[in-house]
Amino acid sequence: MTNLTLNVNGEIRSASVPPETTLLDLLRDYFSLTGAKRGCDVGDCGACTVIVDGKPVNACLMLAGQAHGRAVLTIEGLATRERLHPIQTAFEERAALQCGFCGPGVILSAKALLERNPNPTVRDIRDAISGNLCRCTGYTKMIEAIQEAARALRGETRERAVPVPVEGARP
Amino acid sequence: MKAFQFVTARDSRHALALMGAHGSSGRFLAGGTDLLVELKSASGVPELIVDIAGLEELKGIAVNERGLRIGAMVTHSEIMASSIIRELAPALAEAAHTIGAVQTRNLGTLGGNLVTGVPSMDGGPALMALEAQVTVMGAEGCRHLPICEFFRGPRKTALGPAELLQEIVIPARNLGKPTKFLKFGLRKGQALALVNVAASLWVNWDEHVFVEPRIALGAVAPTVMRAKHAESHLEGRAITPEVMTEAGDFAAAEADPISDFRASAGYRRDLIAVLVARALAGAYACAKAEHEGKAR
Repeated sequence: MTNLTLNVNGEIRSASVPPETTLLDLLRDYFSLTGAKRGCDVGDCGACTVIVDGKPVNACLMLAGQAHGRAVLTIEGLATRERLHPIQTAFEERAALQCGFCGPGVILSAKALLERNPNPTVRDIRDAISGNLCRCTGYTKMIEAIQEAARALRGETRERAVPVPVEGARP
Repeated sequence: MKAFQFVTARDSRHALALMGAHGSSGRFLAGGTDLLVELKSASGVPELIVDIAGLEELKGIAVNERGLRIGAMVTHSEIMASSIIRELAPALAEAAHTIGAVQTRNLGTLGGNLVTGVPSMDGGPALMALEAQVTVMGAEGCRHLPICEFFRGPRKTALGPAELLQEIVIPARNLGKPTKFLKFGLRKGQALALVNVAASLWVNWDEHVFVEPRIALGAVAPTVMRAKHAESHLEGRAITPEVMTEAGDFAAAEADPISDFRASAGYRRDLIAVLVARALAGAYACAKAEHEGKAR
């Protein structure tokens, strides 16, 4: 067994897993964080994208043991109880997702992009999400949403606080 | 995935000792972008995986007395971001940018790309056009060899079972040599090369002739290869667009492409001719820009 301790969404988590466990298996099956999706499982589709030490990676291509001592951010770590992350708000307002399966990966790729490049061109955005396959949207609205989120994060538009739905609450 | 033992190596000696004790049933893990895919599909899974991705001695990008040294565990993203590489060997950064996508470039390493020995690798041609050397490390010590001798066949390299690739060095005499890398894939992102090409050259401006032109081709032979007939056609010859086109035709003739589901051999030959001429023109444009910059 591989014993590991890592920071997941700001919390220190430990686990003892068989060595062949991937980071994606660890997140989904041991920590019940199912935001990162199992799509192709060979690094082509990007549905399992998570951010490790500030960089987006395919969680299906990392062994859990390689994440020992590192900081992992998943989609679950992005919003707070009170409000969505500005990228999530922009995706909602622009209706940038349809089925949503690729969404966690796309949004985390966008987050990593905007952290190192607050004012990306469309080309930069396309490059940043080229490892995230979406079979519904054709990407146009995603690119618009990422531009919108970039403006919000630069403080150029007023952010609208969208309450996070509470489980079990009636509309 | 089938079960295996996983060890994070403390240093390269530790890694080599572990592998030596396990013989052919062990594998080194670098970025994992190829190895994990293999582990998920293959029936013959190794007994031991030794993680070497974090070893400091296999990292780093720096100029030393031999030239520009790139540690084997440097990732493609690190190559793209390196100011030293962008200044002294920008074609390597361009080539790194064409590999996979952001996620795989953050994990995958240059050394890992080379040791796969896959003919379509994007890390190979620019290094070969710059006549890079590689350092192979074993229990007995290190040996240096030119990168063209490192590749031995499809998925075959000069690495022994208990050896690892330590570093890649671009010789000092070729730092700043004008070079252009071009790749033709079926898409811009996440595509394997149908053909990739790198060309490097110096120019004798007094006579306006090619000096030490080097052309490397990928995905068109059992390994990444030098187009030596094309190179000798150019050496010392006056630089014109026509002669670049002729070099493209020589390169297409000396390559040995296969037909597969991505493209036919004939289509690949046509691509070689076009890409070689364009890569030469690109490298010449770099040389000219630098020459005019100096003259000003």
